Amino acid sequence: MAFPHLRTLMALFTLPTIFFAGFVPRGRPGGIRGKPGFKCKPGLRGKPGSRVKLTGMKGGNKVVVEAHRHEGVFIAKGKEDALCTRNLVPGEAVYNEKRISVQNEDGTKVEYRVWNPFRSKLAAAILGGVDNIWMKPGSKVLYLGAASGTTVSHVSDLVGPTGVVYAVEFSPRSGRDLVNMAAKRTNVIPIIEDARLPARYRMLVGMVDVIFSDVAQPDQARILALNASYFLKSGGHFVISIKANCIDSTATAEAVFASEVKKLQAEQFKPMEQVTLEPFERDHACVVGAYRVPKKPKLAAS
Amino acid sequence: MSSLRNAVHRRAHKERSQPKERKRFGLLEKHKDYVVRAKAFHKKEDYLQKLKEKAAFRNPDEFYFKMINSKTVNGVHKQAGEPNKYTQEELLLMKSQDIGYILQKILSEKKKIERLTATLHSLDSQRSNKHVYYAEDRQDAKRILSETKSDGGLPAFEDLPEKIKRRTAASYRELEARKNRAHDLEKVYNEMAMKQELQKKGKKRKLREDEIVCPTSKPVYKWRTERKQ
Repeated sequence: MAFPHLRTLMALFTLPTIFFAGFVPRGRPGGIRGKPGFKCKPGLRGKPGSRVKLTGMKGGNKVVVEAHRHEGVFIAKGKEDALCTRNLVPGEAVYNEKRISVQNEDGTKVEYRVWNPFRSKLAAAILGGVDNIWMKPGSKVLYLGAASGTTVSHVSDLVGPTGVVYAVEFSPRSGRDLVNMAAKRTNVIPIIEDARLPARYRMLVGMVDVIFSDVAQPDQARILALNASYFLKSGGHFVISIKANCIDSTATAEAVFASEVKKLQAEQFKPMEQVTLEPFERDHACVVGAYRVPKKPKLAAS
Repeated sequence: MSSLRNAVHRRAHKERSQPKERKRFGLLEKHKDYVVRAKAFHKKEDYLQKLKEKAAFRNPDEFYFKMINSKTVNGVHKQAGEPNKYTQEELLLMKSQDIGYILQKILSEKKKIERLTATLHSLDSQRSNKHVYYAEDRQDAKRILSETKSDGGLPAFEDLPEKIKRRTAASYRELEARKNRAHDLEKVYNEMAMKQELQKKGKKRKLREDEIVCPTSKPVYKWRTERKQ
């Protein structure tokens, strides 16, 4: 790429009067496309370091999108500095979020949606540096407390067309938005039921790899355990968002998180890590862990 | 009959215009223009005449209040300050409209801040949250410790073009400026709201220094509790 450009420069230096008119038009496009130190690797999803650039109207790159540590999550840099997911339904926004369109090397267009951590606990947890969200392309996810489906839509982007998201929401009002969203996303199955009664929707949901729970109820640990006993595979994982105020508004947030973790441990859950969601939410935490983990064999002497 | 007469085509009347060599005087004045101008002139003339007569017939011994209400300052005749034209209610209304404008600006600024923070997640900055790991035993804890030490946070963009870095920085600068502006506007709003409250009815008094619970630089007022019903 850079070679013809270089040759143009040399020609300019040596024989300026003769070659100027002939070489400049050829040299210009090469000079823009072959910017040094800015390469594009083919392939997008899940390859760390893969990079896509958007070519703007005047030929400059306006946005750079790179894969995040978590598979299916991306980072966009440009006018925005944002977490995003690859839009499963290009051209449509779910909650008026910003969309970023990016052109690949081969001319195909990819669209990303900005994932707002102020509206999504999962995004806040990812930005908080959680080690693993256990959701990746192809995962089956049970989402408790789906609300209007803003985060669900990003999870559906994340798991892609090979994965499934079962979104449970009790309130019919926000459930209406959820159903509307699910109409355009084939991998989302909306369920308007009480998450306390998983028996009512047991015929709709298969075994899942991950349960995400954002129900903000005092008995949320029990709700999670109940659903896990029905649908979560052994060795599967859970991600639960805890709002301290919803469980006990008199105790300190730390004490509430600790008591919730205790409750989870009593229900065959094995919490692995916990992140607080500052600065996006106050007194919130996200706990990630595994379910029914097989006991490690005791090592005799290592 | 007149309508029939109107139906017949007649030559249009053409008004005389200003000759070319007199163009610099503007449009040519017609009689009706002259009448308007002359009337205005005579009105002023009469007014001046009346004033002159008044001055001529003035009694130098007579007392006028203007003699003590007005004076000359540096050679300029100045009348005494006009008393407040507006009633208390009118003033309150005007102030509330000013406050309304400031409030509207605060809200619009906050909306813009919200829109910006939705896409600016400060990915490179230091995180302010807490990350806790749960280990089963000592060995597990050691393993986790060694693993987390090597983890370097978010993947860094090593070779970002200068142009994109500049764009991101500009966005953050805008967000910062808007936050400052919203903060300043809020301060102004609080001050105005306080002034408005003080103008309203209700007994209140300024607290003395030693009465203020949490000290501030601003004056603190206390209203007497009043039964509403």
